[in-house]
Amino acid sequence: MPFIEVSGVCKAFGARAARRHVLEEVTLAVEQGEFVSIVGFMGCGKSTFLNIVAGLLPADAGHVRIRGEHVRGIADGAAIVFQNYSLLPWFSASENVRLAVAACFPAWSRAQQEDQSRRYLEMVGLANAMHRRPSQLSGGMRQRVAIARAFATEPDILFLDEPFGALDALTRAALQEELAQLCAAAHRPVTAIMITNSVEEALLLSDRIVPMTRGPAATLGASVGVGMPKPRTAAALTRDREAQRVRTHVVEWLAAYVQPARKMPRLHASKPHAEHGIGVLSEGET
Amino acid sequence: MRWRRALLPVSGITLAVLAWWATSVFVPELPSPWETWQESKIYLLRPIEKRGEMDQGIALFAYYSLMRVAKGFLLGILIATPLGLLLGMSSTLHRMFDPVMQVLRPISPLAWLPLGLVLFQKSEPAAMFAIAICSMWPTVINAAAGVRAIPQDYWNVAKVLRLSRVTTFTKIVVPATLPYLFTGYRLSLGIAWLVIVASEMLTGTPGVGGFLWQEYNSLIYAHILLAILTIGVIGFALDRLMSAAESKLRAI
Repeated sequence: MPFIEVSGVCKAFGARAARRHVLEEVTLAVEQGEFVSIVGFMGCGKSTFLNIVAGLLPADAGHVRIRGEHVRGIADGAAIVFQNYSLLPWFSASENVRLAVAACFPAWSRAQQEDQSRRYLEMVGLANAMHRRPSQLSGGMRQRVAIARAFATEPDILFLDEPFGALDALTRAALQEELAQLCAAAHRPVTAIMITNSVEEALLLSDRIVPMTRGPAATLGASVGVGMPKPRTAAALTRDREAQRVRTHVVEWLAAYVQPARKMPRLHASKPHAEHGIGVLSEGET
Repeated sequence: MRWRRALLPVSGITLAVLAWWATSVFVPELPSPWETWQESKIYLLRPIEKRGEMDQGIALFAYYSLMRVAKGFLLGILIATPLGLLLGMSSTLHRMFDPVMQVLRPISPLAWLPLGLVLFQKSEPAAMFAIAICSMWPTVINAAAGVRAIPQDYWNVAKVLRLSRVTTFTKIVVPATLPYLFTGYRLSLGIAWLVIVASEMLTGTPGVGGFLWQEYNSLIYAHILLAILTIGVIGFALDRLMSAAESKLRAI
């Protein structure tokens, strides 16, 4: 049985005529210790999907199981990193992290909790900014706090919702490598699902990339394994043949969904699942 | 342009005093600014002298009134804060009690005071009751609005970290609504100050309002103006004080 199992998840928002089907029969299986990236267009429903898998949002149909159990609320040992950091502005960086540590390890003494918070903030290079409030930190530093907060709870499941989406390219690259190191250095194998709109980011971090079709009624395409050894560097990826193969595959697959000038129905006809010979996880939607 | 910032309010006040003086020329009942000063200076220059129950320095009267306001206001926000937070967190409770609130809110302090006198038999607790019940509404409404304005992000943090209800309340709900609460407190204090004058006038207790009413009965009109100006200045100072606290909180 897969560690995380998503099958036939549907989600729609709105009522009656305004009802918009965001996800249609989404199915995904993630093994323990695997890092899976879901790549798709902005606004295609990726975040909705992650929120359902993480247990923040109920699905209309289908189910999500983690360790074989139905997801009700946030699963044990799961941490989430949001695109907009979601730090509490009235707490300092260390207080933000400590809030998570205290919630996760209530039996620890205050000193132990503080120690844990400090250690993880140091790991993301914020040793000198621990007592600053989020408003006094740059976007990159804020996201570092959010990442430290997630890792300080020693999660074995990590949900990343466009974690670097709001950052500039240089900060983004630095943080991607830090995240890869944190995953590698974790005590337990970390199973991760990351949402991103950057194929390069997915290449750098994941074992498998799953493209998502453009909404409405988005669904997942066939996944592509990324075979290169980890940790990877952005520089090496630009020349690597394997990376080139995966990149081409994903980009071409997504290109079929670039909004045409005319109306939508043509899209389904040009869905490129046949040419790659890998079973598409969901077929026969509207 | 610092001199202009200081000069403009000063000239505004001067013009208002001139208008007062001009009116007093045509209306013989209205004391002129100079007469008012002449008649009132004993209260102002000896602010903490107690010559009799209703003949005391203006600072003493202000102190009595402020103490009464403080008690009623504290009682009011002590009830209003948890009530508002609760109404903000539960839409069921909000829908249930909103009509009650909307009916109670526009009732004048003059209407509550007799009820307070009937219930408590004495003027002090009755005044406190009237202040509390009149001044609590802005705090209730702002606290509820503040809770409803908490961004989904913060609720998500509570969900993701699986914070207990108590922790969510103390670490997220209260700090997130604090700026709203202080807006409520400022408005509530303003109302409490309005109510105290009315309640002192009705009950005849020593204080700025009681003094005003007594001097009306004694036909010393200059003292009425003194009391009115005192009420205004203190009300303004209270508002400024709360604004300062409020903007300090918003800066976070």
